[in-house]
Amino acid sequence: MKENPRLRAVQAVRRELATLGIDPFGIQIDEILSPTVGLIQGRRTILAGTNNYLGLTFDPDCIAAARDALERAGTGTTGSRMANGSYAAHRELELDLARFYGKRDAIVFSTGYQANLGMISALAGPGDTVLIDADSHASIYDGCSLSGANTIRFRHNDPDDLSRRMGRLGSGAAGALVVVEGVYSMLGDRAPLREFVEVKNAFGATLLVDEAHSMGVLGEKGRGLGAELGVLGDIDYVVGTFSKSLGNTGGFCVGDSDEMDVLRYASRPYVFTASLPPATIAATRMALRKLAAADDLRRRIRENAERLHAGLTALGFRLGAPANAVVAVLAGEKVEALRFWHYLLEQGVYVNVMVPPATPGNESLLRCSVSAAHTPEQIDAICATFAGWPGARG
Amino acid sequence: MTHQDVVAQLAKLLEPHAEGRVTHITADTGLTGELALDSLKVMDLITDVEDHYDISVPLNSLADIRTVGDLASLIQKHVGNDA
Repeated sequence: MKENPRLRAVQAVRRELATLGIDPFGIQIDEILSPTVGLIQGRRTILAGTNNYLGLTFDPDCIAAARDALERAGTGTTGSRMANGSYAAHRELELDLARFYGKRDAIVFSTGYQANLGMISALAGPGDTVLIDADSHASIYDGCSLSGANTIRFRHNDPDDLSRRMGRLGSGAAGALVVVEGVYSMLGDRAPLREFVEVKNAFGATLLVDEAHSMGVLGEKGRGLGAELGVLGDIDYVVGTFSKSLGNTGGFCVGDSDEMDVLRYASRPYVFTASLPPATIAATRMALRKLAAADDLRRRIRENAERLHAGLTALGFRLGAPANAVVAVLAGEKVEALRFWHYLLEQGVYVNVMVPPATPGNESLLRCSVSAAHTPEQIDAICATFAGWPGARG
Repeated sequence: MTHQDVVAQLAKLLEPHAEGRVTHITADTGLTGELALDSLKVMDLITDVEDHYDISVPLNSLADIRTVGDLASLIQKHVGNDA
């Protein structure tokens, strides 16, 4: 069959990885033994690259809720909510989320990716302007593409740069949509949300914040960075995911707008995707209750993050941001980073490797995500394994 | 501001990214072709261009931009619109 020219670049990367004998993007966990341990290539491996921040994937109450829903309501919904009907639990989860954030209403999407895609493309269209942080997740970039709006990128975590770019829009700034994240997935760095809120208020714009990596981890009751900084009320739309702290899959948006119920019908990713299955909804509702009460888990994830951050710093590694649930080791050149990642895996530690252009600053990263379920001994074992690699020190 | 003025300015901004791949940047030089800029580098370039000319260049207007000359034409259009 003729080679598809559009796949040449990806094919070249796959061939390069095959030459190195390293395949970080096709890793298979043969058996998942706990939130922090899996069997990979026949080895018991500490999982430090899963985003399972609160370790709720094996929570007995969440499993029981899922099992009960599975038996009562079946395996799947077999259609989209608009075309084929919502189950009562879909709406109940939306009301749970709205109450949790103290917002007027919520919309549940089938993935976190689709939540950004769905919200951005429903809020903005051709002729509108969306301003996004340069280090935004692919779902934000793709949401902008789907919207057809004029998309302007401002320098990462730089409210002054946002302000300058909004100033260039003149009267158009008032109708613009600004999109940032609470915590950035690559480096684990936090956004200056207070300052971003000041800019959006000054121009009368709309602010959407993706709290995927901060929900459950930061703020009172785990309501994210906006809550921690006291600006949740000034954020027009909070987008989040069920696939990190809530230990499941799915996404959502909460907001105070009177148009929340109209937005869902204007959102093609909402309208044309099958809705989440009953077991997922039930387990997520249970996990949300647990998350709100999980101050002990938040303390543990903070302690684990600080332990890992301090341990890796003491070993001489350069880290991407202050201690947070995401701890990123700056790993320099791509091939060296891939070899470093492979070494860690062979020693029984699974982390994520990220290479340019997916990384900020044109440098490769080894990205660890810390869980409240990690024991101090596992964190020390991760550090000891990193210590065995001779390179990548500052 | 002529097309050639903008090309010359872009050549200055692009020189550090050329990394020896192209010795003389002209209007016909390909951004992702000869200069081998990845998508992130192109977007970083646009951020610098916006600040240099005090204009807004939406990312969605870049779809048909292949060469330095194409980008210079786009900049001229925006400078005209924003002036």
